[in-house]
Amino acid sequence: MSEIPLQNHDDDPSSMPGPLQGLRVLDFGWVLAGAIPGMVLADMGAQVIKVETRQRLDYMRQGRPLIGDERDPELNPMFHNVNRSKLSITLNTTHPGAIDLARRLAGRSDVVVENFSPGVMDRLGLGYEDLRKHKPDIIMASISSNGQTGPLRDLRAYAPSIGALAGLDSTLGYEGERPLGLKHAYADITGALHAVFAITAALLNRKRTGQGRYIDLSMLRATVATMGIGLSEYALTGLVMEPKGNYDPVMAPYNNYPCLGEDKWVSVAVRTEEEWRSLVRAMGNPAWAQDESFVSKFQRLKHRKELDAQLAAWTSTRTAEDVTKTLQDNGVAAAPVMDAEERLAYPHFQERGLYQEIQHPSLGQEPVFNLMWKLSRTPSSIRRHAPLLGEHNQEVFGDILGLSDEEISHLEEAKVLW
Amino acid sequence: MTYDLLEGLRVLELGQFISAPYCGKLLADMGAHVIKIEPPGTGDWARQYGPFLNDDPHPERSGAFLYLNSNKQSVTLNLKTPTGQGILAELVSRADVLVHNLHPLEMDALGVNYAAVSQHNPNIVMASITPFGLNGPNRNYRAYDINLAAAGGICQGLGSAGREPLTFGTPQVGYFAGTAAASSIMMALLTLGPGQAFAASEQPAGQSSHFDEPASEVPPFGKGGLEGISPGQELDQPAGQHIDIAEVETMAGVYNGPEALMAVYEWRATRRTGHHAMDFPYPNCILRCKDGYIFVGAPEGRQWRKLLEIMGDPPWSQEQRFRNRTEMNNLYADEVDGYVETWLMEHTKAELLALALEHRVPLAPVRGYDEVSHDESLADLFQAVERPDTGALSFPGSPYVIEDAPRTDTSPAPFLGQHNPDVYCDTLGYTREQLVKLYQIGII
Repeated sequence: MSEIPLQNHDDDPSSMPGPLQGLRVLDFGWVLAGAIPGMVLADMGAQVIKVETRQRLDYMRQGRPLIGDERDPELNPMFHNVNRSKLSITLNTTHPGAIDLARRLAGRSDVVVENFSPGVMDRLGLGYEDLRKHKPDIIMASISSNGQTGPLRDLRAYAPSIGALAGLDSTLGYEGERPLGLKHAYADITGALHAVFAITAALLNRKRTGQGRYIDLSMLRATVATMGIGLSEYALTGLVMEPKGNYDPVMAPYNNYPCLGEDKWVSVAVRTEEEWRSLVRAMGNPAWAQDESFVSKFQRLKHRKELDAQLAAWTSTRTAEDVTKTLQDNGVAAAPVMDAEERLAYPHFQERGLYQEIQHPSLGQEPVFNLMWKLSRTPSSIRRHAPLLGEHNQEVFGDILGLSDEEISHLEEAKVLW
Repeated sequence: MTYDLLEGLRVLELGQFISAPYCGKLLADMGAHVIKIEPPGTGDWARQYGPFLNDDPHPERSGAFLYLNSNKQSVTLNLKTPTGQGILAELVSRADVLVHNLHPLEMDALGVNYAAVSQHNPNIVMASITPFGLNGPNRNYRAYDINLAAAGGICQGLGSAGREPLTFGTPQVGYFAGTAAASSIMMALLTLGPGQAFAASEQPAGQSSHFDEPASEVPPFGKGGLEGISPGQELDQPAGQHIDIAEVETMAGVYNGPEALMAVYEWRATRRTGHHAMDFPYPNCILRCKDGYIFVGAPEGRQWRKLLEIMGDPPWSQEQRFRNRTEMNNLYADEVDGYVETWLMEHTKAELLALALEHRVPLAPVRGYDEVSHDESLADLFQAVERPDTGALSFPGSPYVIEDAPRTDTSPAPFLGQHNPDVYCDTLGYTREQLVKLYQIGII
């Protein structure tokens, strides 16, 4: 590992029960979109049981970025991040005995999360209608690319597909050029976070009504919901946006500007007249800023390219940190464009504990990110390192379903727990 | 469409632009009663943002505002006056939740902080959404969407080498901060005494003591949203708490955190590589087709073989140098784009989507906002909302389908101060004369 320092939070997590203490989640989720809701609920104190199988390993256990050359399912830090705080059991769902065990576990759970292709859970006999027979008030969330019904239901789609279908990619690019698209697993995370809200709202409702719920969460719909302002342009004006580079309809300047150093940039955005005057003052009242072309918001928007060129000339002789500090000291929105190393070492994130290190049996000290909210009375905490494959078979089947050690060994030998 | 899961939950929103308003929208679209508090005169600055109906700027016809504020009530209140603050205190004492995105410096100036708010209601859940959070060296930073994307790690990898890093084509970060706020508010409201929550987990399978109780006996949320819900709760302990959400951390955490953390292993630096992504098996990119652009992916080997089969197994695909698809991506992507686009240019987006469905290969049309808005499979998401001054306008509603949950129509976003009489007179008990007086002295 390199020498990037990380804060080490050694607080005993068990001393902080978390707001979801006592809640049990049966987590069939995998890869990203399916794994993240369980991760969030686990950090918040729920007991989250990740259901896995050696028949078909979670892609995250075997795909990039594996550390080292071996295809060891315990060596993927990304998997460790999105599955920390969980328990892991192995259930070979091609075996009828495993289905029965899964139903019995669902009967003792509050929430079930899954993101298989639509129809798979039903086919396994683990659909909502099956599970509610075992637990009438179960809350089940199915996360999929395009929903459990409709013409796109069976489309093979990954996060970039959703960015394309949702319209997100259509405006992302340089002006007058091809759309570039987001490379991130962006829609997975957007979908997962909306699923967390729907699940927790259903839990709150269940406390009052005793009602279980089935939540059909499509990543496409969640992503479309975050496109509302862009979509409203079409609804209100009939215009269809195309790539415009870094552009905002009411802000200029609004761009990333070059700075001293190799590939270093700073973002600057100005909305109000007061912010514009502050920017001009922060730059030392250059003559060009008094030009008629920049006298009003309307003028600055109209001449945004000339404005960008002038501002770039000013930023390019300074570091991104200097520009940020000078502008922020004057109340102007600015921030460096940060790469991975810079974010990791960013003092602000360090002080707030955004990233921390925990101990993992296979990788030793490893870095994880924290949740993006801080609750004053019932904070989240990372309960434990990501589980080893099937690490908790004994605990889960023994303590929750009351199986004996012999029964569990027998099920393991018969490859039911596999 | 609006669900009723949060019926009875009383929410105050001091929200501007996206983040806190999107939180309010998620709660309102789930059935919560959301009162939006706006500054008199100007209101939420989303009213100035647009896009405007027929491109004609008007604070009541801004798309950003109309989208983000459906199902809410609007009151005006000047928080810079003692009288305004007193009225806020009255509202706080009657609310379960306060969500705001006042900047930390505004919080300081107005004295709106958890210590003060909880004095008026110890059970309130208060969520503060700020650009960089409520502590740390950059607490007072100001930031718009591009700044949050830049510091959060989105921009560095977007765009082409040697050119400026890009950000989203329409603001995004506020939505995630708003979603985070809504989820964490739910969790705070779910809080009971240690070990007392969710006793249902301890019951035998198939049984649930409260399941058969009639739904008409739904208790109100009451103080802190929790009173009367669980008989086991210790009510002497305040249920309220404060939630601190830094917008930049939604990007730097769950969205880009894993990538940042990989830097510890010196695994891969983010590079800007245009429409290609480095170190992925080819293809994983947006390419041209007959009538626009299409995303072409094939993470699984069989998907790539199927794609080649659909293309008629072209001779170039048999070349030795293309055996390793990650190398093909990193070394020859532009060349291969040419081959693949030659075939794609013979097909429309609709034809390619049909092929994707038939052969289970990951092709996805890059759709413009018009195509998304007209997608028939999303018709129930885009519910038309009628407002007297704008006519019917369609915006996305709740993005989830909750089976069997009653749904009601969405109410349009409110006019500025539309609900002053409802809230100040009917709820707080001010007389009409007092209301007029409050208008005259600029409080509302």
